[in-house]
Amino acid sequence: MTTLDNRVSARPIPNPQKSLITKLNAGTGLIVGIIFALGTYFALNNNSSDSATVNFQHYNRTLLASMFMWSIGFLVGIGAFIGPWRWLIGKDLTAEEQLYMAGDGQGIKRYFKYCTDHKVVGIQYLWGVIAMLAVGGTMAMMIRTNLAMPGGHFITASVYNSLVGLHGITMIIAMIIVATGPFGNFIMPIMIGAADMAFPRLNALSWWVLFTAIPVLCSAWFLGGIPTGWTAYAPLSIQAGPGMNAFLATIIIFAFSTAVAGANITATVVAMRAKGMSWNRVPIFVIGATISVALAVPAFPTFMLAMIQTALDRTFMTTFFDANFGGSGWLYAHLFWIMGHPEVYVILIPGVAILMEIVPVFVRKPLFSYTSAIIGFAGIAGLSVLVWAHHMYMSGWMPMLNGPFMVTTEMISIPTGLIFLVILGTLWNGKPWLKMPMLCVYAFLWNMLVGGITGLYLSDVPADNYLHGSMYVTAHFHYTLMGSALTGAVAGLVYWFPKMTGRMFNERSSYVAFWFIQLGFQVLYLGMFTAGAEGQPRRVVDYADNFHVSNMVSTAGAYGVGIGFIVLLWGVVHSWRHGKIAPMNPWGAKSLEWTVPYPVPLVNFDTPPVVTSDPYGYGKAVK
Amino acid sequence: MSDHNTPDLNPTPGERFTHFLKRKDVIETLGWAVFYTVGFVILGGKFYTKWMPTMMSTDMRAIERLMVIFTWISAPVCGFVLSMATYTFRHGHRGDTPPEEGPAIRTNRLGIALFGVTSSLLALVAILYGLIELNSSAEAATKDAPSAMVVEVTGSQWVWSFNYPAQGVTSNELMLPINKPVIFKIVSEDVNHSFWPVQLGVKADANRFQVTTVQTKPNKLGAFDVKCAELCGLYHAYMETNGAVVTTADFNNWVTAQGGHQA
Repeated sequence: MTTLDNRVSARPIPNPQKSLITKLNAGTGLIVGIIFALGTYFALNNNSSDSATVNFQHYNRTLLASMFMWSIGFLVGIGAFIGPWRWLIGKDLTAEEQLYMAGDGQGIKRYFKYCTDHKVVGIQYLWGVIAMLAVGGTMAMMIRTNLAMPGGHFITASVYNSLVGLHGITMIIAMIIVATGPFGNFIMPIMIGAADMAFPRLNALSWWVLFTAIPVLCSAWFLGGIPTGWTAYAPLSIQAGPGMNAFLATIIIFAFSTAVAGANITATVVAMRAKGMSWNRVPIFVIGATISVALAVPAFPTFMLAMIQTALDRTFMTTFFDANFGGSGWLYAHLFWIMGHPEVYVILIPGVAILMEIVPVFVRKPLFSYTSAIIGFAGIAGLSVLVWAHHMYMSGWMPMLNGPFMVTTEMISIPTGLIFLVILGTLWNGKPWLKMPMLCVYAFLWNMLVGGITGLYLSDVPADNYLHGSMYVTAHFHYTLMGSALTGAVAGLVYWFPKMTGRMFNERSSYVAFWFIQLGFQVLYLGMFTAGAEGQPRRVVDYADNFHVSNMVSTAGAYGVGIGFIVLLWGVVHSWRHGKIAPMNPWGAKSLEWTVPYPVPLVNFDTPPVVTSDPYGYGKAVK
Repeated sequence: MSDHNTPDLNPTPGERFTHFLKRKDVIETLGWAVFYTVGFVILGGKFYTKWMPTMMSTDMRAIERLMVIFTWISAPVCGFVLSMATYTFRHGHRGDTPPEEGPAIRTNRLGIALFGVTSSLLALVAILYGLIELNSSAEAATKDAPSAMVVEVTGSQWVWSFNYPAQGVTSNELMLPINKPVIFKIVSEDVNHSFWPVQLGVKADANRFQVTTVQTKPNKLGAFDVKCAELCGLYHAYMETNGAVVTTADFNNWVTAQGGHQA
């Protein structure tokens, strides 16, 4: 390993004849982005009309234009368009420039550049996700602190509503990329034996476009917040103040980023697999990540469209969603949930797939019924596009269709059952190695069980009459998204940490974090389920005295989860800097990413690998 | 596992099954399965009946019964998942070296088939139960409709108001006579709200210009809460009011006191 280290760092930094590329980085991006944004803002911002509505619409136009110009300016400043510009004038980047863009031998600086190496993009995504989870988690703690006592005196109703919306959208964005961002970019290409992603420049683009969405989202704080929750139902969203523009711009930018990333991941898996890696030899995480992004490809455009239409309603007096002028709030709800329900599975599937990747390694048995796993994922993905209206049972849109949507929704329990079967079948007859990633598998089994069963009540129309819009719903989807998908991603972090950083994750902190998070989580959401069963609506800054006990319990649990995540973050930082140096294959796993050294060479493999079996050849033969 | 040392090379399915049931791991797992299933049946019967508020209509009674029955349907699933999880966790491997290699079992057709059939049947039971419940509440509503009293519910940021067209009364409190079917016709003056008389077990969104209808029959005297279940802006949390189910005589007195007339 040391010899290889030396070889990589001893390679001279390619010098593309002082090309423009060498001078650009996130700093220049920031400068150009801010110039673009401020320039647009001051050029457009002249509220001259006497009509408040006209002024409001013009102000929205100004803000939205400034936000998009910031994003474009940043990308110009970081050099995202150098390649496309060369193509436009009939040239391309030189070989040296391309090598420079891959960041070879540039140390820590490449993380702040438009770097095309998938491993760099993976690390960028990882820290982006950590930052978003930290911000979203802090907001969750503020929400829970406010709800500890009836009266809601800790924060005002206006700030509270903003917190609910910002916590929601920050976490949704973080959760969509939490597995496919860091692991899908860093690990997945190595797993399938590829030298890089299919479109390395698009890969860099997807990350830096996403990055530009973060300041836009944060600007909501200074523009009066997002008072609509992350669902942003119309007409509340049309009525909302200037902070709403930040939400709309964030989603539109983010949807662009996921479309790019989704196309890239799909193309990589389809076209770049190593020789011999037929479809029945692809690691299950790769299958899960691909199904997830493939599901996102049809789902997210409707979200983007709904946001563009909301933006038009707010800026150019269209009335898509404003019933006062012939629009329809139901139209928005449809567009939103046609994205919204597939989206929860976009989040869930990669997290579960990580756990499926982990189980065989730690149990030393082949993955039980690989086919069932694929049928399970594909079944969930297929059904998930047919269930969106279960979010609208109570909307009055079409009560006649409640029955059919109930049927499709409850059918999802069948492929979900297969997911359980695969994990349980792999565990059965084995002696699981109870390291932290394996503990996460057990946490997943319990959390997904609770999340799934409570989903059964919610999918049932008569029961939903009572539960819809209550705290019960909030507790349910946190069990599935946080308890299951995030648990999977945390397991993946500890599992792949040695390959991504060259060091082992500090064990003690991983166990402490695990138990604080998981036990706190049970207390937190048991309290919330109870509050919901008692009849407390969700998204309320204040509540009646009879909900006090369950909310108090819930807040106590939330602090446990908070402590757990702080310990986990400490573990990440500490292990990254001082952790035990990891061997090449610390878990004894058989997938391809464990056959490459750390630091992973620029093209991953010195000689392209040839695959002769699936990566689950564990265990001794049964007579 | 030492379950493969039987000298009989061609056991009948019956023999294999008895042999399977005699395995130590199977016995312990089955024990856990019974423990969890029974536990969930008992807890499932208690949790919702304890925490859900007073049932003041047949709809609310049906909801609570449905929650309990769904928990019971799920109990065997919990038993299956948790028993296998518990057994393998108890017999897990600790330490810094990987455990020994397990048996290389890649699939088990019979197991998958049994699991698939059972889980589909349980889903089918849940679906059928839900559909039947949905149908019976719709039938009851149709039967009650001719004798029902109409209340027009209007949501606006952030108050509920109730109009009784037949009685000529408008109020911010929701008074309902006992055992009299009531049809709520719900609409919004501004953004989306969701009308939720909690203890009556019905709910429907209030949309601008689109009237949504929901029907129930209160059957228990007492106070209930009316809340908003859809985020509707700044004071969403405070968009609540009092409701009460009263005797017919009290209701008539209330109508008169409000300046209305008997229907």
